[in-house]
Amino acid sequence: MNKLKSIFTYLILSVAALVSLFPFLWMLISMTNKSVDITQGSLMPGTHLFENLRNLFENYNVGSALFNSFFIAIIATVLCLVISSLAGYGFEVYRSKGKDIVFTILLLSMMIPFAALMVPLFRLFGDISQVFPAIGVDTLYAVILPYVTTAFFVFFFRQNTKMFTKDLIEAGRIDGLSEIGIFFRIYMPSMKNTLAAAGIISFMNNWNNYLWPLVIIQSPENQTIPLLISNLGSGYTPDYGVIYTAIVIGTIPTALVFFFLQRYFVEGMTGSVKG
Amino acid sequence: MKKWLTVITVGLLTLILSACSLGADKNTYEETGVLTAWAWDPLFNVAALELAKDYYIEEDESFELEIIENGQKDIVQRLNTGLSSGTMKGMPNIVLIEDYRAQSFLQAYPDAFYDLSDYFNIDDFADYKKAPTSFDGGQFGVPFDTGVTGLYLRTDYLEEAGYTPEDLTNITWDEFIEIGKDIKEKTGKLMISINPNDPDHLRHMIQTAGVWFTEEDGRTVNISENEAVREAVRTYTALQEEGIAHINTDWSSRVAAFQSGEVVSVAVGNWMTPSIKAEESQAGKWTIVPIPRLSVDGAVNASNLGGSSFYVLNIPGKEKAAEFLASTFGSNVDLYQDFVTEIGAIGTYLPALDGEAFKKSDDFFGGQKIIADFITWMEDIPSVNYGMHTYASMDILIGEMQKYKSGKELDDALIDAQKQAEGRLSN
Repeated sequence: MNKLKSIFTYLILSVAALVSLFPFLWMLISMTNKSVDITQGSLMPGTHLFENLRNLFENYNVGSALFNSFFIAIIATVLCLVISSLAGYGFEVYRSKGKDIVFTILLLSMMIPFAALMVPLFRLFGDISQVFPAIGVDTLYAVILPYVTTAFFVFFFRQNTKMFTKDLIEAGRIDGLSEIGIFFRIYMPSMKNTLAAAGIISFMNNWNNYLWPLVIIQSPENQTIPLLISNLGSGYTPDYGVIYTAIVIGTIPTALVFFFLQRYFVEGMTGSVKG
Repeated sequence: MKKWLTVITVGLLTLILSACSLGADKNTYEETGVLTAWAWDPLFNVAALELAKDYYIEEDESFELEIIENGQKDIVQRLNTGLSSGTMKGMPNIVLIEDYRAQSFLQAYPDAFYDLSDYFNIDDFADYKKAPTSFDGGQFGVPFDTGVTGLYLRTDYLEEAGYTPEDLTNITWDEFIEIGKDIKEKTGKLMISINPNDPDHLRHMIQTAGVWFTEEDGRTVNISENEAVREAVRTYTALQEEGIAHINTDWSSRVAAFQSGEVVSVAVGNWMTPSIKAEESQAGKWTIVPIPRLSVDGAVNASNLGGSSFYVLNIPGKEKAAEFLASTFGSNVDLYQDFVTEIGAIGTYLPALDGEAFKKSDDFFGGQKIIADFITWMEDIPSVNYGMHTYASMDILIGEMQKYKSGKELDDALIDAQKQAEGRLSN
C-alpha cells in the first residue's frame, strides 16, 4: 500500500516536474536551432548555437544591456534591503501612537497597480529632469528610484522581525550600544535568512522589470535585458534562435542568484509564515 | 559597528557616484542638432530610415539622425505615457505609427504632432493612406509602407487537387471555403491557418467592403448594422466549423503552419513574403493571387493589413524633421526603388511605382512579378477611416465571436458587441 502510494506520488510529481521544466528545456534546445526549425517545433538540439550567439552579439549591444541590468538590480536590491529592514525594524520594535495607521496606509499602497502610478511617476521624473537631469528621464537612476523600497518589503521585514528576540535589544542597550549599533551588529546578523529571501525577490523583480524601464529609458545605451529581448521579437520576421539565445543569457543571472541563496531563501520564506 | 557602516556607506557611495556619471545628460535637438526617430523592425522600418538618412546626407552633410529601435507595442506604450504626462521629455522627433493606431494618437493629443501639409503632397500617395494619416484638415503622417494583401497559394497542392491558381483568383470567401473543403478531401491538407484570439483576417475581410468597425467619423461604433462585419464574423467562424482551418496560437506557430507545409494558402499582407521565402525548400511552389472578397455588395478583391506612416512630434527640431521626411519618403523616387530591392518594402508613393525595381520577377514564386501585382491590387484598396478604436473593437468582437461559435445567434452576438463597444468606447 505504502509502495503504491509512493509510486503514485512520484508519478504526479514527475508530471508536474515535466510541465514546469519543459519550457526551460525547450528554451535551451531552441538556443541551438535556427529560426525555421524552432517555428516547426524541433525538439532536437541543433548546430546553430554559435551562429545565434554571433548574430546576437554582433547586432545588439548585449554587453551594455547586461551591465545596465546588473547595475539596476544590484543597487536597487542593496538600497531596498537597507531601507526596508530599517523600516520593518522600526515599525516592530519602537512604540508610537500613529504607527499602525501609518502601516495600514503603507499596506494600502500595495493595492495600487503600477500601471496607475506610471503616468504621474513619469511626469515627476520629467520635472526632476529640468533641475537634475542626472537622475531624470532616460537615466538608470530613474529606473532604480521608485524601487528602492516598496511596501511589500517593509511588510516582509516587519513580519520577520516579530520572530526576533527582543531581549537581545535590551541586552545591547545595557552593554552600551547605540540604537543604530544594535540594528547593525545584533539585528542584521541574525536576519540573514530574511535578507537573503528579500534580496532574491528584489533582485529578480528588478532584473525582470519591464514596464517602468520601458517608458523611462529611451536611449539604446541605457537599455536593459528585458527591453533588448522585447526588441528582438518586434520584427515582422523575428529570428527565434537569436531571441532564445538572448533569453537564456538573461535567465542565467537570476538562476545563479537563486541557486546560491536558495538555502537561506527557503528558511527566510518559511520564517515569515511562522511569524 | 563602524566597520559595518563604513563598508556599506563607501559601497553605496561608489555605486551612486558611478551612476551619476552614467546618467548621461540626454541632450535635446537644440543643443546637439541630432534628430531622433523611433521605429520597429531592424530589417524593415529601421533599414528604410537608414536608407533615407543616407540619401538626405547627400543634400545636407551636417544632418544627423539617431534611429532607435523599439518594438511596436513598446513605442505605443512609451508614446502614451510620455504624451499623457504632458512633459514631452524624451520624446523623439520622428515616430513610426501603425495606421490602425494613428487616429487614436492624433485625436487624443492633437497638439503633440506637427502639421506636415506644407511639406509634401498627400495626393502623391495611395488614396487609402490619407484617412489614417490626416486629422481635422491637417496632414500629420508621411505614408510609408503598404499592407496590401494577397492570397499566397501552394501551387503543388492545388495541382494535386485538380485546381489552378486561376480558380482561386478574384473569388469570394464563400467560394474559398467550398474549394477548401474539396482540397482537404483530395489532399488532406488544411486550407488556411488562423488564430481565433488574434483574428487579423477580420480586418482585411471587412476592408474589402470599404467599411470599418466605426463609421466614417472614426468614433461612432458600427458593428450590429454592418453587413460586412456580420459576413466577416460568419465567414471566419465557418472556416473553423467546416474543418478547413489550422488553428495557430501565436506568431511562431502561424509561421510554422506554412513553413512546414501544413496549409495550402496564407491570406495576409505582403510583408509576410520574407517569412514565406525563408523555407527555401518550397521555392517555386508558391504563387500569389488577389485576396478573396466578402460576399457583400461592392466588395473588391483588394485589401490591406497593417502598414504604417511616419509622424513628426511638435518639439524643437520639427522643421528639420519635416524637411527630412518630405525630401526622402515624401518625394524621392530612387529611394523607393531601394526600398524594394534592398529590404523588400513596398511604398505607397505613386510616382515611384513605375520604376524598374517594381517590375522584377521572383523565381521563388515561379517567376511571378509579385511587386507589380501587389501595387496593382494596392490601387484598388478601398479607403476607410480606421478611427480611434480598431484594436478595442477587435477585442470585443473576439469575445462575441466565441459565443457565436458556441451557439449564440449571430445577430444577438453582434448587437451585444455593439452595446459593449458603445459603452466602453464612448469618448
